[in-house]
Amino acid sequence: MSYYDIDSILTDAQKLPCTFELEVPGLGILEGNPGEDIKSGTRIDLPLWLGEMLSIGARLGTSRLVTLDMPPALTERVMNALKADPRTVDLRALAPHFYSLGERILELFEEEEMVDVLTDTFKKRSAEISDHAHNPRGAVGDGVEFLRGLDETERQLFRAAHDRAKEMRIWAGEAKRK
Amino acid sequence: MAFPLPRGTTPSEIGFLAEMEMVTVVPRQRLEGLELLGGPIEPLVPPRRASLPLWLALLLKRQRRANIMPPTWLHPEPLGLILEVESQHQDYKNAFSPPPPLPGQPSVRDHDAVPLARPQYTPDGGRYYASPPFLPQNTAQENVSPDELPALPFHWLEIGNMLLESASDDLVDSDQIRRLMKDLREVRLAKMRAGTDVLDAAATGGGGVALTGVGAMEVGEERGFLTGVVDNLRKIGASKEQARREQMAEQRANGGYDGAQDDEEEDYMEF
Repeated sequence: MSYYDIDSILTDAQKLPCTFELEVPGLGILEGNPGEDIKSGTRIDLPLWLGEMLSIGARLGTSRLVTLDMPPALTERVMNALKADPRTVDLRALAPHFYSLGERILELFEEEEMVDVLTDTFKKRSAEISDHAHNPRGAVGDGVEFLRGLDETERQLFRAAHDRAKEMRIWAGEAKRK
Repeated sequence: MAFPLPRGTTPSEIGFLAEMEMVTVVPRQRLEGLELLGGPIEPLVPPRRASLPLWLALLLKRQRRANIMPPTWLHPEPLGLILEVESQHQDYKNAFSPPPPLPGQPSVRDHDAVPLARPQYTPDGGRYYASPPFLPQNTAQENVSPDELPALPFHWLEIGNMLLESASDDLVDSDQIRRLMKDLREVRLAKMRAGTDVLDAAATGGGGVALTGVGAMEVGEERGFLTGVVDNLRKIGASKEQARREQMAEQRANGGYDGAQDDEEEDYMEF
């Protein structure tokens, strides 16, 4: 995660449900009515970076401005689906940067079980990715459905494996250089 | 992206490195000794055998000035044996067949023996232990002891491919060899794939994954994928790791000094 990493920036921009604990004057613009106040108890989806900032008061000892909630991509339902079969879940539809989001969320929340589920999911799916990457016909055939559901991290993985397998075939003279 | 090539070495680079390996040739013409950067080459006098770097051997082969003697392992029988070990043997179900033993290293069978490496000396008197790529693993050996198991050298895939491509008439039954090489590669690829399951051992503290016997080309091929997987597993498990770390620090603060605990801590710090 570096300052200039575009994936890290996009992860930070993903939305997180937040509940305001205090009344904030003049911040109604977040809710869509500029000029108004935000009442305490309002639920708004805020970008990860903003929500994290606003909830930080709790650590400083002062009363916090917002409380964070689990993003929809990491709810109990999704975890159960991942436990059942990691391969059939369309992670991209849940969040384009699913794992990066998971990492950030795990920094904020203490969720032992989610670590295990995500680790297991990633392992099972990466084995599948490796299979598809070594398929000489490329990303066509039965794998299309699965490959479309890869999140950004997995796509990079697929690309790395696929490019290498292709280079190998070209070097061994089994495939033509395009 | 500033640099167009991916991280790690490309197949052609690995092939280039493999061309440094020494192979045995039978010259057809006389050639005076050459002073190469990698060391002097003895004069070629037919029909006396000589050891040359693979690149020079291939060059002479293309010019029909020499025949290449296939390396000891690049025959149908040793390859068939290795394939059998690789696919049938109980001990190697999840592991790659062992690499050729280093000098002084006891063979796989008597693994209780103490390794007895014989040092070599540089012209300046410095002591060193030779290791690949400075060991001739790809020369044709006359007298192979029968209890020595055949083994794939580090550059097996590259050398096998190159020899099949440009010196297939020097190999014994090149079609059979080609088939065996292909089978071997597939068996090993499948193992590499199955190994993804144990990779989280590499992502947690103190863990590791044995890649003994994996060839240069296979390492180069899997590097991008494997490091990516391990890196991400590490990131996902970071919070758990953090908790473990804190717990351990707490334990240490409460319990004072404890030898066993210290050991654990050390393993963990190495990672």
